[in-house]
Amino acid sequence: MDAVNSLMEGFATALQPEYLLFALLGVVIGTAVGVLPGIGPAMTVALLLPLTYSLSPTAAIITFAGIYYGGMYGGSTTSILLNTPGESASVITAIEGNKMAKLGRGAAALATAAIGSFIAGTIATALLTLFAPLLARFAVNLSPADFVALIVVAFITVGALLGSSPARGLASLGIGLLVGLIGTEATTGQARYTMGVLALSDGVSVVLVAVGLFAVGETLYVAARLRHGTVPVIPVTRGWRSWMTREDWKRSWKPWLRGTFIGFPIGTIPAGGADVATFLSYASEKKLSKNKEQFGRGAIEGVAGPEAANNAAAAGVLVPLLTLGLPTTATAAIIITAFQSYGIQPGPQLFQNQGDLVWALIASLYIGNVLLIVLNLPLAGLWVKVLQIPRPYLYAGILTFAVLGAYAVSFSTLDIVILLIVGALGYFMRRFGFPIAPLIVGLILGPMGEQQLRKALQLSQGNVADLVLHPFAASAYVLLAVFLVVGLWLKRRQSRYERALEASLAATEGHPQAAVDHLWEPGERPTDVRTESIRAELAAEKARTARGEPPRE
Amino acid sequence: MTTTDAPGPATARLRWDADRIGNAIFAGVVFGLGVFALAGAFAIRVPAGAAIGPQVFPFAVAVILLGSGAALVVAALRGQVAPREEGEDIDPDATTDWWTILKLVALMVAVLLLLELLGWWMVAALLFGGVAWTLGAKRPWVAFLVGLVIGIGTQLLFGEGLGLFLPRGAAFDWWYGPGPLFG
Repeated sequence: MDAVNSLMEGFATALQPEYLLFALLGVVIGTAVGVLPGIGPAMTVALLLPLTYSLSPTAAIITFAGIYYGGMYGGSTTSILLNTPGESASVITAIEGNKMAKLGRGAAALATAAIGSFIAGTIATALLTLFAPLLARFAVNLSPADFVALIVVAFITVGALLGSSPARGLASLGIGLLVGLIGTEATTGQARYTMGVLALSDGVSVVLVAVGLFAVGETLYVAARLRHGTVPVIPVTRGWRSWMTREDWKRSWKPWLRGTFIGFPIGTIPAGGADVATFLSYASEKKLSKNKEQFGRGAIEGVAGPEAANNAAAAGVLVPLLTLGLPTTATAAIIITAFQSYGIQPGPQLFQNQGDLVWALIASLYIGNVLLIVLNLPLAGLWVKVLQIPRPYLYAGILTFAVLGAYAVSFSTLDIVILLIVGALGYFMRRFGFPIAPLIVGLILGPMGEQQLRKALQLSQGNVADLVLHPFAASAYVLLAVFLVVGLWLKRRQSRYERALEASLAATEGHPQAAVDHLWEPGERPTDVRTESIRAELAAEKARTARGEPPRE
Repeated sequence: MTTTDAPGPATARLRWDADRIGNAIFAGVVFGLGVFALAGAFAIRVPAGAAIGPQVFPFAVAVILLGSGAALVVAALRGQVAPREEGEDIDPDATTDWWTILKLVALMVAVLLLLELLGWWMVAALLFGGVAWTLGAKRPWVAFLVGLVIGIGTQLLFGEGLGLFLPRGAAFDWWYGPGPLFG
């Protein structure tokens, strides 16, 4: 009952006109950046971090939470309506919505995605309301050694499970940790890795790294291979009231609920994030559906389930964030920075020390969900317009605001130099398939990890064995092993599943060679001819002609 | 099925294309960062008596970077490359246009050189217009005009309104005069 009272108080705060306005601002910005390719919630929150200088903590956090939730809603509009051949198939969930839109059922796809996101978001927020205070009460008793274990789990899972290979994810994590080390060391006051540059003694600002990687790196990467011409958006019918038929509702409600209960737990554990949740939901919907043959050709269940799972996972991510101070996605990591800039350290004490703020935040999540469904259903036409912004202007705007945001960090042109360097790093990381999120998580969690590690070893007087002998820490390491095995197995299944799906799509569209290309790597294809076999064939041919036999056909 | 143009394993595995060379170089950079982290860790002074010094964590970071960097170098040499990232706005058939990248970087360098002289509003117009023009905006003058509107708008909102220190431009000091713009 305690939680209900606190939640009511949270609503009393979040429903004040001022905070409602910030929530609205957040969800509008969030939806817009979710719709637009090239910018995401992580970068937007990073760009808006300077707002924390002039806003109250509650207002800023409510705005950022709105951006976080809004970004999830907006993304589905893009994947459903943007008709870019060749790309959309790489995201498994984009397939169904896109196919539905091409069949003229774009409106139903948008509606089931938005309503599913609303239902999943609301249920998952309710689960967050229930479980977060319990977990926080339990986590208060954790020792520094336990926190070291949790942070190691977050590092390894985020590093190993995001991106195309564990080595790439860990390299990205390592770069983030290294950047996090730059600056003055807390206990001895000496500069580490500053290379004698005085401006680096305060460390590299998270804003610069996030904006450089996401905005500058992304813009350079897209600009080098930009798709020119008008943006190919699939038109949708007007009149949102008639978007979903009775049949659509009947086929959607179960996937919504299943997606929610798949997504939320996966969001709470650091095991690959929303990507895994959407894949699991898609696979299970396909398995359970009576219309299996429709999958890959525009099955509404394939939109409803994964979209719900995606949003539920987004709420799940907030559980470790608010109760343990552990970010498992890039956006969550940057929200931690926002807390820190107010001198608030997210962690088990958050619910006790900053109860008003946390409960206002949770209440604002419920409100944000309502605002988002209102914004997304009737105003879908507006977001289609946003989606159509000519790309030269879009990327010009991204770069301009990136430079403004970087300069606003400390009003020094050196920051723009750092922005460019980080941007170049972001470009090459994308080019060579390195995930960005582990870098951001490492950058923000690294200093916290070092602090906890030193605290833990001071308590144990340098005894390293103590780090793993705490019961909680020990079970965390065991869980880590389980996460890794299950996560890597799931990722393998996912990539095989996606390949098979792409191959079947290509085959139904009448490109057998493309289907073969999707299913096998070059060199492993059954249609490949090896040099040795050609040589053997030629030798046999020669032998036959030498024997005077007629050449074979 | 005709198979004449399907690449065989021998040709596909051993060719040193740009993809593989680039992968190997970037993996080498990761390894190099590991060396940098290791060298830096040795340079850290360790106070006497501390249970755990300020160099322990850097050593761990160095190990992560060296390990993953080495693994990636080996993988690249053996021909295992990651698929390049795709995106909604990326033309999957296009090759990397270095000329465009060069122009964008040059624009950003120009911004950082000219920011204090011309002021934020002016370089914002240059940057926005220049980027849009480079990326193929149909009417460049519209792009520069939009950039100017954004520049003046952000200058007024953040610089004058919220009090952020955005340079107005030393070159225009004679025009504004000293002191705040309003009031």
